[in-house]
Amino acid sequence: AAFGLYFPRKEYSENVYIDQPAGTPLLRIHALRDSHGEVAHFHLCQNLIVSRARSHENNWFQIREKTGLLYLSQSLDREDFNMLSVGNWMSLSKVMLYVFLSSHPFQEKECDSATRTTVFLSLINATAPACSSLTARQLCFTEMDLSFHIKENKPPGTFHQLQLPSVHNLCQNLSISYKLLAAEGMPFRYNENTTGVSVTQRLDREERERYELIAKCTVREGFREMQVEVPFLVNVLDEDDSPPFLPNGTDAADAVVEFNRKEGTVLATLTVYDADTTPIYPLESSRKKYTGTIITDDPWISETFRVEHIFDEIHFSPNGSQVRGTQHEYKLVLNKSISVTEHRSFQLDVLVNDTEFHGPERSVMLHFNVSILPVSIQFPNMTYQFTVNRNAERFAQIGKICIENCMKFRGVNITYKLLSPNASCYPVSILQGREDKYGSLYVNDSSVLRRPECKEIQYTIQATDRQSRKHTKTLLTLVLEGTLLKKEEDCPDSCAVSKHHAECEECGGLGVLTGRCQWRRGSGKGITTNYSTCTPSIKTCPDGICDVIESRDPAVCPQDCTSGNIIGGHGKGTGNLGIKSGHGICYCFPRQNCYCEKDDIKEQLCDDVCKTVI
Amino acid sequence: LAGPPSPPGQDPHGWRVPVDCVRANELCAAEPSCSSRYRTLRQCLAGRDRNTMLANKECQTALEVLQESPLYDCRCKRGMKKELQCLQIYWSIHLGLTEGEEFYEASPYEPVTSRLSDIFRLASIFSGMDPAANSKSNHCLDAAKACNLNDNCKRLRSGYISTCSKEISATEHCSRRKCHKALRQFFDRVPSEYTYRLLFCSCKDQACAERRRQTIVPSCSYEDKEKPNCLDLRNTCRTDHLCRSRLADFHTNCQASFQSLTSCPGDNYQACLGSYAGLIAGFDVTPNYVDASTASITISPWCSCRGSGNLEEECEKFLRDFTENPCLRNAIQAFGNGTDVNLSP
Repeated sequence: AAFGLYFPRKEYSENVYIDQPAGTPLLRIHALRDSHGEVAHFHLCQNLIVSRARSHENNWFQIREKTGLLYLSQSLDREDFNMLSVGNWMSLSKVMLYVFLSSHPFQEKECDSATRTTVFLSLINATAPACSSLTARQLCFTEMDLSFHIKENKPPGTFHQLQLPSVHNLCQNLSISYKLLAAEGMPFRYNENTTGVSVTQRLDREERERYELIAKCTVREGFREMQVEVPFLVNVLDEDDSPPFLPNGTDAADAVVEFNRKEGTVLATLTVYDADTTPIYPLESSRKKYTGTIITDDPWISETFRVEHIFDEIHFSPNGSQVRGTQHEYKLVLNKSISVTEHRSFQLDVLVNDTEFHGPERSVMLHFNVSILPVSIQFPNMTYQFTVNRNAERFAQIGKICIENCMKFRGVNITYKLLSPNASCYPVSILQGREDKYGSLYVNDSSVLRRPECKEIQYTIQATDRQSRKHTKTLLTLVLEGTLLKKEEDCPDSCAVSKHHAECEECGGLGVLTGRCQWRRGSGKGITTNYSTCTPSIKTCPDGICDVIESRDPAVCPQDCTSGNIIGGHGKGTGNLGIKSGHGICYCFPRQNCYCEKDDIKEQLCDDVCKTVI
Repeated sequence: LAGPPSPPGQDPHGWRVPVDCVRANELCAAEPSCSSRYRTLRQCLAGRDRNTMLANKECQTALEVLQESPLYDCRCKRGMKKELQCLQIYWSIHLGLTEGEEFYEASPYEPVTSRLSDIFRLASIFSGMDPAANSKSNHCLDAAKACNLNDNCKRLRSGYISTCSKEISATEHCSRRKCHKALRQFFDRVPSEYTYRLLFCSCKDQACAERRRQTIVPSCSYEDKEKPNCLDLRNTCRTDHLCRSRLADFHTNCQASFQSLTSCPGDNYQACLGSYAGLIAGFDVTPNYVDASTASITISPWCSCRGSGNLEEECEKFLRDFTENPCLRNAIQAFGNGTDVNLSP
C-alpha cells in the first residue's frame, strides 16, 4: 500500500472556553510527506463526536486547508456549551473531531479518507482564564505527551510546532520561548522563529528506532522567569526495506525419520533473519507476508511434509542503540504418520519469500536433507521367561512385553497378542493401553495357578504393526513356583482396605504377586506423595498412574484409580483420578470413599505389667 | 436506584435520569416509531462500509430520532440482572458510532458514586474480630479469615479455588474458562468489603505479598504457556461484550489524570478499584501482581509488547495503564492504608 502523506501523531488536544472570540487559533496540525513535491491539504469532517455516540453538526471549528491551523470560526456561547454537554456525566466534556489529509484539494463532504488524526477538545465551562492564573506547564505544553512517529526513508519536513497557538493568542504580553535539547548529531532541528521542529534527513529504523529529546520552555514575565522541561519522543516507523538473510550462512539441515514417525513430528528447523520488524498481531497477515513453500513436483512429498513458520522478535545493536528485528523459524513437520516400511532419502527445498520487500534478494532457499529409515518389527533375540508365584491373584502384573526399541516409537501402533497354547493351563493375558507401546502380562485366571499339573507353560507372543500388518513372534515361558498358602479368612478383596501394617501383610487381595499385600511406609511428613498405604505391589501401586490393568477393577489399586471422595488431607491425581498425595495413612473402600488420616492410636505394646501372669 | 448527585457545575436542563439499556429497550419497543428506527439504525451500523451507510438518508433520520430516545444515554449496572443483555444493547448502538478503534472507550457502566470510606466503615465492623491489629499482622491473612467467617464469601471463595486448582489431565493444568467464571461469580456476588480486602491488602513481608498475588489462583486464571501481545489481547477482549465493557470501565475510572490530586478521575479511588476488580473477574485481560515484592506494586495483564511492529508505542501505552499507573497504584495503597481522599463537602 502506498503511504502517501501522513500525520506524525495520532491525537491532538486543546481546551476550548466559553465565549472565546471567533478567529481564536486553537492548535496546529502537521503532516509529513511520502515523496518530494507532495502538498498537504487538511480537511475537517463536519461532524462533531460529542461524548459517547452522540454526534452534532460542527458549527464552530474550522481548519486552514494549507497550514493545518485549527481555529474557532464562531464563538461558543453558553447555549452551545449546554447543547454539547447533553448526556455528559462529567463536568468536563470532550468533543472529538477528525482531521483528514490529502495531497489534492478536498471536495465537498469528504469524510472517509483513511488518513486521519483525532482532535480532542475539552470544553471548559468557564471563560478563558487570565494568563496570570496559568502555570508554566499550562502555558508551555498541553497535557498530551510530546510523542511522534516518523516513517523511515521519507523526505525530511516539519512535524511539530512547540508554541501553543491558543496560549500565544491569549497571553501576548508574556514571553514564552522554547529550546529543543538534543544530543549532538541528532537529525532534528528547531527553528526559533516559527518554533517548528523538523526532521532534517531521511531516517533509518534499522540504524535507530527511538530518539529521546527534551523540550525546554522558558516563560518570562517582567523579572520572573519559569522553566519547564518535558520529554520529546520520536519513534521511527518501520517499512519492509531489508531482505531475509541466513545466520552464519546455514541453509541446510538434516531431517531423519526413524522411530518417531508420528504426524506432527518436527524433523528439523532452519532459521532466517530479517532486520525488519514483523508484528505478531494480526498474526495471519504477517504469516502471509513471509511465506515458506516446499518446492516439489512429487505429490507424495507434498502430502507427507509441511512447513511450519513461527517468528519472534530479536534485538541487535547496529551502533550502540538497540533495534528490533525478526527471527523466522521454518520447521519441517510430518504431515502424516509414515509407515515402518518406508525407506528413501532426498533433498527437500523450501523457498522463503519476503513478499513485501522490493529488492532482488527477497527470497532464500532452505534445504532439508531428509532420510526416512525403515524400522524392523522384531523381538530382542532372547525369549521371555517369567516366574509366577502360585499364590498370585487375579490382575497381578507379571511383566512387560516390548519389541526392540518399542519405547522410542511414536506414531507406530504395535499390538501384542498371546497365541493360545494347546494345553489347558492358561492363567495369563496381555493388555495394552490406548497409547501404550508395550503389552502388560497379568494373571487372568488365578485358579489355573493353583492346579498342580500346571508347572511350566509355553506361549507364543505375536507383535503386529497395525499399519503395515508386519508381525513378529517370540516364545514366552511361564514357570509356576512356590507353595500354596492357606487363605486367611475375613480378608477383604482389596489390599487398599487395610489400615494397619499388620493386617495388611496378613491378607492377600486382587493384584498381589505372592499372595500377600505389601505395606508402604510413608515419610509421615504432612501431606506427601509418599504416604503410608497397603498395596498389592509397591512397584505398580500407587505410582500416580492408573494403568490399564488397575483400571479393570476398582479393587486393585484405588490409590491410583479412585474417582470417589477422599476424606482427610490429600491432593488429587491427574484428571481427578487417584490420591496423588495424602496425610498419614490412606486407605480405600473400593467403589466408595477413600480416607487419609494420621494413625494416632499407637499399637498396644505389652509392657512388663501386662506380661506378668497373676 | 436514583441517578448520581449532579456534580457541581452540571447544567440542570441537559440532565436526564439514566435508564438502563434493558429498560430503555423496552420503552423503545413499546413505541412503534422508536422500535422501527432502532431496527433501521442497527442495520445501518451492521453494514461493512459503515460510513456510506450512515450517510444514507434513512440512517441519518433514524439516528436523529434515536438521539432523543432513552436508548441513547442508557447505561448498565455492574452485576445487574441481565447484564449481558444490557451490554449487548449498549454496544449495538455505540460500537457502530464510536468506530471501535479508539484507544480508550467510554464505560457503559453507571458512574460509581460511593467512596472508599464507605467500605472502611463496614470493614471496621469485622476488624474487631482480628486477634492482632499490631504491626506484625498479615493483612492478607486477616482478609482470608474474615472471608471464611462469612458464609457467602467462604462458599464462593472455596468455589473458585477448587475450580481453579482442579487438574484436568497431564497436559491441561485446569479449566481456565470455568475458573474465570467462578472468579467472576466471586467478585460479582461478594460485597467489596470482603473482596477488596483480599485483593488489595497491604503487605510488609514477602509471604503476605505472595498470598496477595495468589488470591486469584494465577497459575490457572492468569499465567499461560506463552505471553501474547497486549494489543492482540485487547483485540480478543473487544470481541466480547462483557470483556470490552469491563476494559472500557477500567480505562474510564483508572486513567491517570494530571488534573486531580490523586491522579484518579474525580479523585474516586473506589471507582478505580471497582473497575480493576471487574476486570479480574475472568477474561483474558485479567490483571494481577507480577511478583511478591513488598516494596513496589506492579500490576500487569499476562501480555507483553514483543512483536508489536509499528504499533509498539500504542502497545506500551496500553500496558503502562497497568504497570505504571499512578491512579491505580495510589488507589491500592490508599485502600491498604485505610485512607481515602478527604473531600470538601
